[in-house]
Amino acid sequence: MTRIKAVVLSLASVALGAVVIAAAGIALAHAQPTQAPLHATDVGTSTITIDGAPRTVKHVALTIGAYPDSQFATVFGENGGAHPDWVAYSNNNLVVPKNSLVTITVNQYDGGETLNNPYFGHVIGTIDNVAWVNGQKVTRWDPDHVGHTFTMRGIPGSGRSIFVSVPIPPNDLVDVCDPAEPDSSICAPQGTGYYPKDPVVVKFSFYVGSKGVYQWNCEYPCGGTRIGQFGSAMSTYGYMSGTLTVK
Amino acid sequence: MTPNDNHKNNLRQIFWIWLVITAIGVAVGIYGTPWLMPTAASNTMHLSILTMVVFTVAAAPVAALVYAVVIVALTKWRYRGEGIPPDGPPIRGNNPATSVWLVVSTLLTVFLLVWGLALLAVDNGAESKSEMTIDVTGQQWVWTFGYAGTQVHSHDLYLPVDTDVKFEVTSKDVVHGFWIVQMGIKVNANPSAITTTAVTPNRLGTFDIRCTEICGLNHAFMVTRVHVLTKKNFEHWLASQPATN
Repeated sequence: MTRIKAVVLSLASVALGAVVIAAAGIALAHAQPTQAPLHATDVGTSTITIDGAPRTVKHVALTIGAYPDSQFATVFGENGGAHPDWVAYSNNNLVVPKNSLVTITVNQYDGGETLNNPYFGHVIGTIDNVAWVNGQKVTRWDPDHVGHTFTMRGIPGSGRSIFVSVPIPPNDLVDVCDPAEPDSSICAPQGTGYYPKDPVVVKFSFYVGSKGVYQWNCEYPCGGTRIGQFGSAMSTYGYMSGTLTVK
Repeated sequence: MTPNDNHKNNLRQIFWIWLVITAIGVAVGIYGTPWLMPTAASNTMHLSILTMVVFTVAAAPVAALVYAVVIVALTKWRYRGEGIPPDGPPIRGNNPATSVWLVVSTLLTVFLLVWGLALLAVDNGAESKSEMTIDVTGQQWVWTFGYAGTQVHSHDLYLPVDTDVKFEVTSKDVVHGFWIVQMGIKVNANPSAITTTAVTPNRLGTFDIRCTEICGLNHAFMVTRVHVLTKKNFEHWLASQPATN
């Protein structure tokens, strides 16, 4: 092998390695949630206090569900997709406009037990630090009786400081609907199971500023039997975690 | 030129290259290292930066000697003939070189040991004089902080400036790593156990807290902030917080 050929091959190897690493980096940087985006709907304007001053801003709304089995959330495909028995939020790819008041409604069909940290029984970071459960205003929920939480924070390095955490109370009818032939007046069939016809409805609002991406997940240990119960649905994107993109 | 002259010439070249690289290394250690490190928000971080500077400066002449010999070997002693180069004359013993090597290595190692132990003694001493205690809880994938003697908890950490603070750190699930970047303290958060560390924040502002143990799906998002306030503002903040026990 001539010296020139050796040098060219060496440089080509380095260049190829750089291209592979760059391609992997670009692919990861542009990795998007697999679910179709759920865009917020416009519900008018609202006046809220931002940095101590009243401001009228765009008001948008999102509605998602929390289900005991992912087969109830149709975004996972026919009969719940790969893991039909995993607990799931109905959508993990939420999109809202910038500088807007966002109201999220969670229709809760799942049961619940005790949080591993009672701090997440409190409503934190919403407008006035309150949420509405079936129309009732709450600032906290019994940490021994919580279904899930919606806990959202800024992406590292984005400079945004938002932190929103809301306990989602359990739907106690979920156990009633567990039998093979439950009471059809309160339970509805879905896939191979049943779930309560009437969800627990949780509403909360918060303000989002400039463009960016926030990450959210559930802080109730609902991911199976691994240590801390943060396995399966809690450790796989698309079930109990997701993003809220501000555009 | 005799072999002896050639040998002296080689040593002279190695010396000058060593001198230049050492100077560059020392300059990088003194000016580059503090620039690369985060802004210090505690005396612990000041000492960490000083340690980085001193260790870099101490390592510069050692690294420079290696580089100098490599440069001379690659440029001047390189075999340019055909085939496999012939073996050189065997070297059996060189007492001056061995003595210098052992003495310098020993002095450097002892220096690093004494420096490290002295700083550890300073760091450990900070825990015993703490004026306030913070309960730190890590869980997938959020930090929460409890302020001892109160019912207050928070997801951002608030500290009074110039106050000796002790952290009692634990985890609700897997192993996490509690790291206040600009204050130079880091300790593991282990489930069913409490680890401790301490610091005295000496700079007002907002700084970073990160998890340093890969702890699951959203480990990369397990970050939060620490706000260092004046003592008066901290008392005001603490009094304004609802009980979140």
